[in-house]
Amino acid sequence: MKGQKKTKRIGVFVCHCGVNIAGVVDVEKVAKTLTDYPGVAFSTNYIYVCSDPGQQMIIDTIKEKKLDGIIVAACSPTLHEKTFQEAARLAGLNPYQIEIANIREQDSWVHVDKDKATKKAVKIIKAHVEKAVRNESLEPIKVEVHRRALVIGGGISGIQAALDIADHGYEVLLVEKNPSIGGKMIQLSETFPTLDCSQCIMTPKMVEASRHPRIKLLTYHEVESVSGFVGNFKVRIKKKPRYVDAVLCNLCAECEKVCPQIVPDEFNMGLSFRKAIYMPFPQAVPGTYTLDAEHCLGLNPVRCGKCKDVCEKKAISYEMQETIFEEEVGAIVVATGYDLYSMQALGEYGGEKIPDVINGLEFERILSASGPTAGIIRRPSDGKVPKSVVFVQCSGSRDTEKHNPYCSKICCMYTAKHAMLYKHRVPDGQAIVFYIDVRTGGKAFDEFYQRTIEEDKVLYIRGKVSKIFKDGDKVVVWGVDTLTGKKVEVEADMVVLAMAMVKAEGVGDLLRKLKIQTDIHGWLAEAHPKLRPVESLNAGFYLAGCAHGPKDIPEAVAQASAAAAKVGDLFAQKELSHEPTVVPVDEDKCSGCAICITMCPYQARTLDTERGVVVVNEILCEGCGACAAACPSGAAQQRNQTDDQIFSMVTAMMKG
Amino acid sequence: MRVKLKAGPEVRKFIERVEELSGENVYACYQCGRCSAGCPVASEMDVLPNQVIRLVQMGLAEDVLHSKTLFLCASCFTCQSRCPKGIDMARVMEAVRHLLDPKGADAFGPGEIPPDLANELPQQVMVALCRKFSK
Amino acid sequence: MKVHYYPGCTLKEKTTALDVSTREAMKCLDIELVEPEGWTCCGAEYPLTEEKIVGLAAPLRVLRQVREENGDFVITTCSFCYAVLKRANKAIKDDPLKHKRVNAYLRDDIKINALTKEKTTGFEDYNGEVRVLHLLEYLRDHVGYQKIRSRLKRPFGGLPIAAYYGCRLLRPAKDMDLGEPDDPRLFEEFLEAVGATPVDYPFKQECCGSYLSVSLPDAATEASYRVLRSARSNGAAAITVTCPLCFYNMDRRQDKIKEAFLDFPGLPVLFFTQILAWALGVEKTVLGLNQHAVPADDLFRDAPAPEVTL
Repeated sequence: MKGQKKTKRIGVFVCHCGVNIAGVVDVEKVAKTLTDYPGVAFSTNYIYVCSDPGQQMIIDTIKEKKLDGIIVAACSPTLHEKTFQEAARLAGLNPYQIEIANIREQDSWVHVDKDKATKKAVKIIKAHVEKAVRNESLEPIKVEVHRRALVIGGGISGIQAALDIADHGYEVLLVEKNPSIGGKMIQLSETFPTLDCSQCIMTPKMVEASRHPRIKLLTYHEVESVSGFVGNFKVRIKKKPRYVDAVLCNLCAECEKVCPQIVPDEFNMGLSFRKAIYMPFPQAVPGTYTLDAEHCLGLNPVRCGKCKDVCEKKAISYEMQETIFEEEVGAIVVATGYDLYSMQALGEYGGEKIPDVINGLEFERILSASGPTAGIIRRPSDGKVPKSVVFVQCSGSRDTEKHNPYCSKICCMYTAKHAMLYKHRVPDGQAIVFYIDVRTGGKAFDEFYQRTIEEDKVLYIRGKVSKIFKDGDKVVVWGVDTLTGKKVEVEADMVVLAMAMVKAEGVGDLLRKLKIQTDIHGWLAEAHPKLRPVESLNAGFYLAGCAHGPKDIPEAVAQASAAAAKVGDLFAQKELSHEPTVVPVDEDKCSGCAICITMCPYQARTLDTERGVVVVNEILCEGCGACAAACPSGAAQQRNQTDDQIFSMVTAMMKG
Repeated sequence: MRVKLKAGPEVRKFIERVEELSGENVYACYQCGRCSAGCPVASEMDVLPNQVIRLVQMGLAEDVLHSKTLFLCASCFTCQSRCPKGIDMARVMEAVRHLLDPKGADAFGPGEIPPDLANELPQQVMVALCRKFSK
Repeated sequence: MKVHYYPGCTLKEKTTALDVSTREAMKCLDIELVEPEGWTCCGAEYPLTEEKIVGLAAPLRVLRQVREENGDFVITTCSFCYAVLKRANKAIKDDPLKHKRVNAYLRDDIKINALTKEKTTGFEDYNGEVRVLHLLEYLRDHVGYQKIRSRLKRPFGGLPIAAYYGCRLLRPAKDMDLGEPDDPRLFEEFLEAVGATPVDYPFKQECCGSYLSVSLPDAATEASYRVLRSARSNGAAAITVTCPLCFYNMDRRQDKIKEAFLDFPGLPVLFFTQILAWALGVEKTVLGLNQHAVPADDLFRDAPAPEVTL
């Protein structure tokens, strides 16, 4: 038998796992049966092998019995494989000589017939013994780390992550596609539950990010492509032409005055206008004007050249070009944020055709002192101060039928805030909130919501709004109070819909370029929903902020700092280790058919056309085995999972 | 007087029967009330549509079977088209109506229509009305 | 060209205006409507419970007859009939148990040879082979608005008309498959094709009160009032319907609506096929306008459309 070392001494440790395994499988009998199996030098059972005494027992036994391979028959390897690999290493045994035989999830947890379950456990362990006698000792593959990070997205999460990583002492590239950093948070008026002015608490961080010696602020830039692997990413970044030199621009605003082109202002959610040459908001970072080429008359002095003519600093140049450059980084933090679900999807609420039915961000701009109405609450259609405002929660959320099934988390709190601020500014106005539930899980959140009702006298009605339509001057809202059993109708002046949070528009393309995992809604997928919330399963990628899912500012900041800490973990290592259970190429057997290349999801394999064989980049290989299964000649054999090993396992199981 | 919520086999049977007849999962309803909010005749009802399904969820067969509501539903399907959980409330209404005592619950039969009105009515109305509201 | 057409019982008795205007309009488009032999009432209500299988027998019998006459599809104009036929058709396609049980009922039917008048049993199972089309979709998808436009003799001159869908045409969306219930386009596109101006108003698919006009008249009066008022206050000169019940509630009962709601001046109610027929050149006398309780003659003029005062 190729690879079989008859002289190998394998130890078998069968775990009771309390009653999880021992309740169904007769673990003593199993351990006893394995004693006589060829290759097994020692076999025992123990109540909890993962415990400290359990592990110590294994370590001592390895040394005493001079074992050169062990089987731990217990729970799934996803739980304790690392534990026992470490224990083996402490005993002086190569960690890849240990095998985890899963007799819990694959046996005791799924069967009730004790006799058959016991026999099955024996078969499983025997198969692993066959594998173990053929296992090679392996060393992890060492990889260099570029201690430099890329943060994609300049909202509060991206800024926080960049600041933390930079404070650790590493250089950070902060890429933001808009002309200024700030994201959605800078658009807000006041934040819950403190009613802090959003710009007041955010601008210090924005300024810090722009001045930090280790942060390279790349606004009006976009990520074009990413290649490579953890610790060694190559990123191509596109610099979009601003047509204004950010350094020379002194914000005199003369260009804006003369520009003839009027464009809906996206910062004010279309409620006001800006010019083609503009600064998105007064506290923009960097503080410079930007010429929006899409709306400019033509970047051509013949058609118009007014802005260039009046610029005393000669900062404007129509000749600027888009440039693409490459950077090397070791870790990437994805903080691309969110967008609000389109009102067009809710035909029963007017489908975005009623001017006085607006979403939360539009209302934030109306509330904002630097917004389109200078902070006076006026309704979009005629500028009148609305005396009756209806707030509709769950618009497009918690809907399994047509819209988004999840809860968008922040709407209950910001609706309470909106209603409260409305009442502060229009004390004789009526504010009604239609809700199904009110979710106030954070610190001081519920107290804030209670104040809205008790002090600000906002009326909360439990019932989901069925229809909203225009009737003359008013906006009619059809709802119900499920608590008193009455159908209600409100003739409001204005309606604010708490629209669902959805993945950021256009982010799909970027995420495809990054090849990063998302869930079915387009939110970034974390490596484990409970225990690994800030890492992607794609090594080297970290998640921060709403790109990962709906959350409020405190959570976004916490997650951003956590992601930064994880990046710090990565960078603190001298070098990275990559699992050695990869699939190398036996060049003697390889015919260069290249079938394996098409199978590889990690693009780890390439064809060396000169020599006519396939070569593998072991660092990119994740050991999935797809190529090994497809290879017709057997040139692709996974380390410690060879065809020979697999067949011997199957044979052992069939023999019983 | 407290309502004693029972959990025994007859209660389960009632709920299961409603689900069987309607083909809907009554437990999926999270009582948002949107069905009632959009129902054109809910203001005339003694028990709102969302309350009907709530009573079914709680197994309070007596309350729901004695309501006037069951004979006010026009099957306009506004409730169904707007339910965020995709429940067809009109089907639940019809299912509950079918569980009524056949002798006692004939709320509207052909005999209830005055003859001169009957001459004027499109057949469609009489057929639909009588099929809906009588057993 | 001949196509199968199912009028439904009401169209032959109380609402012949809808039937006659449909036939005349289709003649102008070179389409002859053929009724399936020996058709019966469809039952008017699609049974909503899983166990009322017998209620599916009548509509499916109609469709089976269309199949026997080598028809691939059948057109209908009454919303109620459309809903029953279409949903029954889909039900037996989707649910094998219903398919089995309804066909068990239908198997007892007697087949009569048209020539020899010989009686035999044994129809083949009906499997949903026939498609059910509403005339509005037939006009859009099979005839095409271009053809309609090319045949217009009296385009409506932009007369503002409110399209009223009612409840049966669009809901439930998955079964009816005619567009988004809260944002439909089908009826509006038809009105544009015949030269009228569709009026956008929020009550286009709110219930008219349906058969509650018999059992709970006040509720139905209010429901119909809200629809008519909304159409009128948004500038409509008339409202158009596809259902005899909507017509009854909004036209025949309009006097009761005016009694209960004194601010409502009135609004003519038209069948969409009357609009189509007139636009295609059919004579006014054939449209059945004498069946209307609210006079609608003035809308059908050779002269340009009258100004609408709100």
